[in-house]
Amino acid sequence: MSLALWLRALLVAHILVSNPHSFGGVILRARAGPVRERWLHYLQTLAQQAGLKTPLRRIPLGISDENLLGGLDLEATIHSGKPVLRSGVLANSDGQILVLPMAERVDINVASRISMALDQGQLRLERDGQSNLLPCHFGVVALDEGIEAEERANIKLQDRLAFHLSLDEIRWHDLPENEDGLIDVDASPPISTQVGNAASYILTDEQWLAITETAMHLGVHSVRALHYAAKTAAYLAAMQGADRISDSHLSEAIALVISPRATQLPSAESPPAETDLEEDAEHAEPPEQNDAPENKVEKPQAPAETPLPENQQDTVAEIEDSVLAAAKAAIPADLLSELLKGPLIQNQKAFGGKTGARKMGCFRGRPMGSIAGNPQAGASLSLIDTLRTAAPWQVIRKKQNASLAVPRSSKTIHITKSDFRVRRYQERTQTLTIFAVDASGSAAMHRLAEAKGAVELLLAECYVRRDQVAVISFRGTGAEILLPSTRSLVRAKRSLAEMPGGGGTPLADAIYIATELAQNAQRQGLSPAIVFLTDGRANIGRNGVPGRAQAQLDAEQAARYLGRSTIKSLWIDTSPQPRIEGEQIAKLVGSIYLPLPHASAKEVSQAVLRTL
Amino acid sequence: MARYYPFSAIVGQEDMKRAILVAALEPAIGGVLVMGDRGTGKSTAVRALAALLPPMDAVADCPYGCDPLAPAGLCFYCDGLRANLQALNASQIAAGKKGKPVKLKTIKRNVPVVDLPLGATEDRVVGALDIEKALTLGEKAFDPGLLARANRGFLYIDEVNLLDDHLVDLLIDVAASGENVVEREGLSIRHPAKFVLVGSGNPEEGELRPQLLDRFGLAVEVKTPTSMQERVTIIKRRDAFERNSIAFLAEWVEQEEAIRKALELARKKLPHIKVDDKLLEQASTLCSHLGTDGLRGELTLLRAARAVAALAGKNKATLEDLQAIAIPALQHRLRRNPLDDSSSAVRIERTLAEVFPA
Repeated sequence: MSLALWLRALLVAHILVSNPHSFGGVILRARAGPVRERWLHYLQTLAQQAGLKTPLRRIPLGISDENLLGGLDLEATIHSGKPVLRSGVLANSDGQILVLPMAERVDINVASRISMALDQGQLRLERDGQSNLLPCHFGVVALDEGIEAEERANIKLQDRLAFHLSLDEIRWHDLPENEDGLIDVDASPPISTQVGNAASYILTDEQWLAITETAMHLGVHSVRALHYAAKTAAYLAAMQGADRISDSHLSEAIALVISPRATQLPSAESPPAETDLEEDAEHAEPPEQNDAPENKVEKPQAPAETPLPENQQDTVAEIEDSVLAAAKAAIPADLLSELLKGPLIQNQKAFGGKTGARKMGCFRGRPMGSIAGNPQAGASLSLIDTLRTAAPWQVIRKKQNASLAVPRSSKTIHITKSDFRVRRYQERTQTLTIFAVDASGSAAMHRLAEAKGAVELLLAECYVRRDQVAVISFRGTGAEILLPSTRSLVRAKRSLAEMPGGGGTPLADAIYIATELAQNAQRQGLSPAIVFLTDGRANIGRNGVPGRAQAQLDAEQAARYLGRSTIKSLWIDTSPQPRIEGEQIAKLVGSIYLPLPHASAKEVSQAVLRTL
Repeated sequence: MARYYPFSAIVGQEDMKRAILVAALEPAIGGVLVMGDRGTGKSTAVRALAALLPPMDAVADCPYGCDPLAPAGLCFYCDGLRANLQALNASQIAAGKKGKPVKLKTIKRNVPVVDLPLGATEDRVVGALDIEKALTLGEKAFDPGLLARANRGFLYIDEVNLLDDHLVDLLIDVAASGENVVEREGLSIRHPAKFVLVGSGNPEEGELRPQLLDRFGLAVEVKTPTSMQERVTIIKRRDAFERNSIAFLAEWVEQEEAIRKALELARKKLPHIKVDDKLLEQASTLCSHLGTDGLRGELTLLRAARAVAALAGKNKATLEDLQAIAIPALQHRLRRNPLDDSSSAVRIERTLAEVFPA
């Protein structure tokens, strides 16, 4: 198993070095360790052989625009007396492979700039008085060290980098001594000819359709992915010097590009003649490839899968079946186990990982360049940027000052107030955690005490982090804000202690009030998150009238309303036997659903801290 | 030089294509915002637009590409050119020669489609001191920025929702006034910057400030096509384009020409498109039912309906044209209704069906 995955990873390295830019690159999901290092080393060796510039260049995590894109070279400009451009990492890496460490934490701005250059193959630079169009063809190896399922590289990068590899399942001791002969390099034509050759391979109509349909079955909607799969198939054929793109090339390409992007498993009924797919999937094997390099090493074979005879007129359905089976088999194990639970719903709110909203400021946070301004009111002067602004004016000012006959030495730098640049920082905004606590009769019976305890523990934690909290309780005919957003632990504790229980469950009202409170907080520049503690059994409608059916409908509508916002939320189901209604509403809200039937206060608070 | 994928070869996405053409036809609408899924051809469509626009008359030498027919006083540069010509004229008359009427030299120029890339600095956007001249000659000269380049054309901002806040403020101001003002240490420049703002982005990555949202006349939402046939066609065409872009472009010359002609014809027709009182009334009924703020929505709706009619080669805008463009013209102007969880587009559709039953 490990070995097959390793071979696939090596194959990706071969394809990537043949034309880094055309494939965008690879997302390498792996913890730092010997396996990852070995792959990178292998890639570097190949890159060297292919005549790419090495060593692979790294993009540091918090890189500034000036270093990434380029800007005015202050020193050289002053020395030479004319503007000198210093190009950034992207433009300097034309024809190279870049390594992006900690891709799951890369800032969206950095990811966007890299994506922009990848899309256009050139870098449009409009900075510091320079207007330039620089060639910029590079590939990216994004090192994704995420552990949780949502901790992933930026979705822009996921879309634009053709290959997604996961090395975490590969154990070091399963790896062969060395990579010699694992991938058939010697017999392959030299890389430069491969690139040329790849262009001459064209997919048949059936193959185009097979890629598209397979992607559809696996819930891969991006058109870019389809395109990359087609290109990969052509390269595989070219690498082996085959006379055409065979179905095994196609299968392998799909396994490399489409399968890791799967968001669902093919449904059993929709495509015809797919009966034994389930069976195949159990042997999670890479697709069969008779002439593929993998066969040099003994590996378990997928059963009952033989490539179609060359001369047989392949019907679309037949190609598709074999391709789909292979594609399904190639879904990485961790993804597969996720998918077996049901289709993935891309959590749109998770784009920034756990990071809160951002706010620009002049005082603290991550440096974000500088803007014109006065170094007053705590804003600090950015000396370099000020000099940079002043630099072009020096000749002019010297002339002017000479006519004014102010005695100055020739080395004086003339700086005026308008040159001042102040530093700007981006800071994480404060979090407001809103607890919506179900105090109805049904909930109070089981959990209210524990819920209160959990909230108190969280409050203490929030207090440590200087976050704000608010508490909404809902019972009887409506919800009320028990505790408006505050940082006072004492006040919060008191209001919780006074919280009465009993009555119906007006869930819809609770969701609306929580949403409203969260939106108000957003307007004030806080980043809100809502924690629902409830058994999810609504029985009071929005208008305060009892009735389970209407209450459920109202709650669902409210949930959709909240679901469309960007507010993060956590849904803790406190009922002893969690039922489907609660989970459904949580899904509509787009929140993380957590059934905690027997949880203690401590467990609940830990769950919240982990997820939000 | 990068070759752009032809507009006519874009598969599907009819709403987006129509909105872009309408915005190109009638600059008064105020541009278009395209938001949607990754890889749906948002940037492709905008970049392809440049190839469709017929060249325009512009004052030769003017860095702002002014219209030769524009009245004096709008552009300091053209005014300078005029003054020079007048002086020349006067001296010739004084020398006893016959004077000529003052006429600026005109050239044909491509309509500019200017990219505002992420990471652009403010000085490049608004223009600043010409560094080269300042350092080598010690001269105070103005180096026009992207806003100057985009005058009378299009300013395209990809990932508009990720644009730096202080650039957004700047753009909002210039887009409203049509004039860019630079004041710095004896450098005082005021130049025309009338452009059609075109933005694109992915709503998942952040929302647009309402003030900037409002600057866009039309807003369209694009989704990944789900029809198998469309998807196959998309990747096949894209593949063909990447393999041999010259051959691919040659294949689409006729279709491109057809759109170009239609656009040109529509431009001639547009000033003569009639809007009767009934349509005015219908537009205002629709807007009041939807509760859009202010008159801007109504005005845009009518302008867009006229442009749709012109593109269809008609002489008169009808309810049909209004309905065709109602969603892009209004969907970003609706207030969110807490009791109605459907999207703006659905609400507009529903209201259309209510107000104008078939």
